Amino acid sequence: MKQTILQGLELAYTNLVRMIADFLPRFLVMLIIIVLGFLVAFALKHILRSVLGLTKLDRVSEEAGASRILRIAHLPSMTVLLSRSIFWVTWLGFILIGLGVLGVAGLQGQISRLFQFLPEVLVGILILFLGLMTANFLSRTALLAAVNAGYPSPRLLSWSIRFVIWILAISMTLEELGVARQTVISAFSIIFGALMLGLAIAFGLGGQDLARKSLERYLGNTDKEKDKEPQPL
Amino acid sequence: MQSESEISTALAEDTFLADDLLRQLMGVGEVDLLVGMFSQGNGNTASHALHAIERSFQQYFTRQRAVIVNVCGGDKNEGDAAAAGLSPLAEKNVRLPELPSLRTVQKVTADFSVPPSPGMALRTILAAAGLLRSRACAVVSPGTTNLTPDWIANLLTPVYREKFDFVAPLYTRHKFQGLLARNLLYPMSRAIFGCRIRELYSEEWGFSGRLAAVCLNQDVWHEEPIRTRPEAWMAISAISSDFRCCQVFRGQKLQSATGSGTDLVAIFRQTVGNLFWCIESQQSAWLDCDRSESVHTFGPDHELTSEPTALNRHRIFEMFRTGVTELEPILSSILDPETHAEIKSIASGEEGKFRLRSDLWVRTVYDFAASYHHAAINRDHLVQALAPLYRGMTFSFLVEHSDSSPAEMEAVSERLCVEFERQKPYLREKWKAKVEVKS
Repeated sequence: MKQTILQGLELAYTNLVRMIADFLPRFLVMLIIIVLGFLVAFALKHILRSVLGLTKLDRVSEEAGASRILRIAHLPSMTVLLSRSIFWVTWLGFILIGLGVLGVAGLQGQISRLFQFLPEVLVGILILFLGLMTANFLSRTALLAAVNAGYPSPRLLSWSIRFVIWILAISMTLEELGVARQTVISAFSIIFGALMLGLAIAFGLGGQDLARKSLERYLGNTDKEKDKEPQPL
Repeated sequence: MQSESEISTALAEDTFLADDLLRQLMGVGEVDLLVGMFSQGNGNTASHALHAIERSFQQYFTRQRAVIVNVCGGDKNEGDAAAAGLSPLAEKNVRLPELPSLRTVQKVTADFSVPPSPGMALRTILAAAGLLRSRACAVVSPGTTNLTPDWIANLLTPVYREKFDFVAPLYTRHKFQGLLARNLLYPMSRAIFGCRIRELYSEEWGFSGRLAAVCLNQDVWHEEPIRTRPEAWMAISAISSDFRCCQVFRGQKLQSATGSGTDLVAIFRQTVGNLFWCIESQQSAWLDCDRSESVHTFGPDHELTSEPTALNRHRIFEMFRTGVTELEPILSSILDPETHAEIKSIASGEEGKFRLRSDLWVRTVYDFAASYHHAAINRDHLVQALAPLYRGMTFSFLVEHSDSSPAEMEAVSERLCVEFERQKPYLREKWKAKVEVKS
């Protein structure tokens, strides 16, 4: 009896030692990969920050209106954001590789699924960001054009443009992520179609005068308008 | 005399010139005078301009070797019009019988397959001036319908005989015409660059071969402001490089229908955007300089007429007020908070009591210039955002000077110029300030 217990304990101990002996090198490899990943990510972050500093990306981002969106979202400047992103993406990649080395059953599958999904998430973020930036730029362009041309409700026009582009960007992002693909496409088609139809009806019925004036302006019947302001040069 | 091989060597570097143009230039040789014109969009008036230039050479520069360089392209009709007035080398020997010229006027056509930009047209004229070693050059606009031989001679003579390097024109204006030049372009350029040239944005000017060479060698020709409106940059380059500048009074300028209209935003892009770009690109010339020098003027330095005009002041004010209200988020990212608050305050007041003080206007313009430098928002948007505020200034000016005499208006303009000069340290401070990110 005693012998059996001792044998069992010995076997358990041997197994434990074997497991530890088997696991420890993997764990150490994982730690080494994570530390190495941290160093690589850190170096990449600084290299990217220096390169982006040289290309004056922050100024371009400021001009394009992207920085404004970042500030609204309480995010740092474009250079800092991109360099931090590259740091975390790189390090996360190394961490996942390190975890894969452990060989924990079930974790492998999850990690590989996460790796497969990661590019879609990144593309989704990129689409959303470009969409927000485009919306901001075009809505401001429309606002300035409408104000300087003396059109009524310039801010409404500007917000409509911003809203439509937001909807488009969000739909594209969700589609990229594969979230309720059919629903998103249907919802977008319905919202966009309704908006355009609404605008067409509103402009056609409610804004006949505005339509006439706009057409006159576009068709070159602007002599009357010209006389109203002094020649600037 | 410049040898053909010498020209060929020089030509090899100027690759933007077409072979046909190079061939024509090599045939011309060396000249004393060159007049360039950009006949794009002015096919109907181009032949009138060409005759005026020819007559000017034959009447006023009888012994000098002269050439006309016509830059055109892309339009078949214009090509035909040019053919009528400006023939290629084979048909160039034209001498008007009643005039005492001893020389034949040479003519060169730079025909582009697609319409060249004004910057490209000027670059071609400058390159031609350099290759032909012209001493005095002028650019004239075929859009000017009352172009006369005297006027072309007036642009060339100060350079050729008085050794000036840049000649700007002065025009007779209606008292409410040219308010952008009067209230922004002239006083700002005068305060910043220290030289009192009134017409920076004219389509006619004279320049020396030396200045042409300096400008041609600058690496700016692909910049959008230079492509669209290169004339002010050339004037500012002359001022910054201490070339001798002068002004010549020309009288009234009549323009064809294809001339510049009143698309305020387009004009703002071409002039204010261009000036802001010049201020930035030439910052080393003005940041540590406080001079303000008058330039020699041939004839009166201003002449105003005051025929009654139909202007819709109410609409101008409403566009200013709408602009201030609707563009509030944009203006807040450009203007100093104090300046913005003052503008909002006066915009919310009654139309009858509205006045835009000169100090506030100057601060506004300087805030815009500094924000342009720091790229606070997209630069094109920034320039457009100034247009409604300019309308406020215009309205204020129209109300204030509805009954003013030319002398009174001139005195007020002078005070505005002095205000621009007085507040130059404000611009300098804003310019040098580290970019403050506004939310």
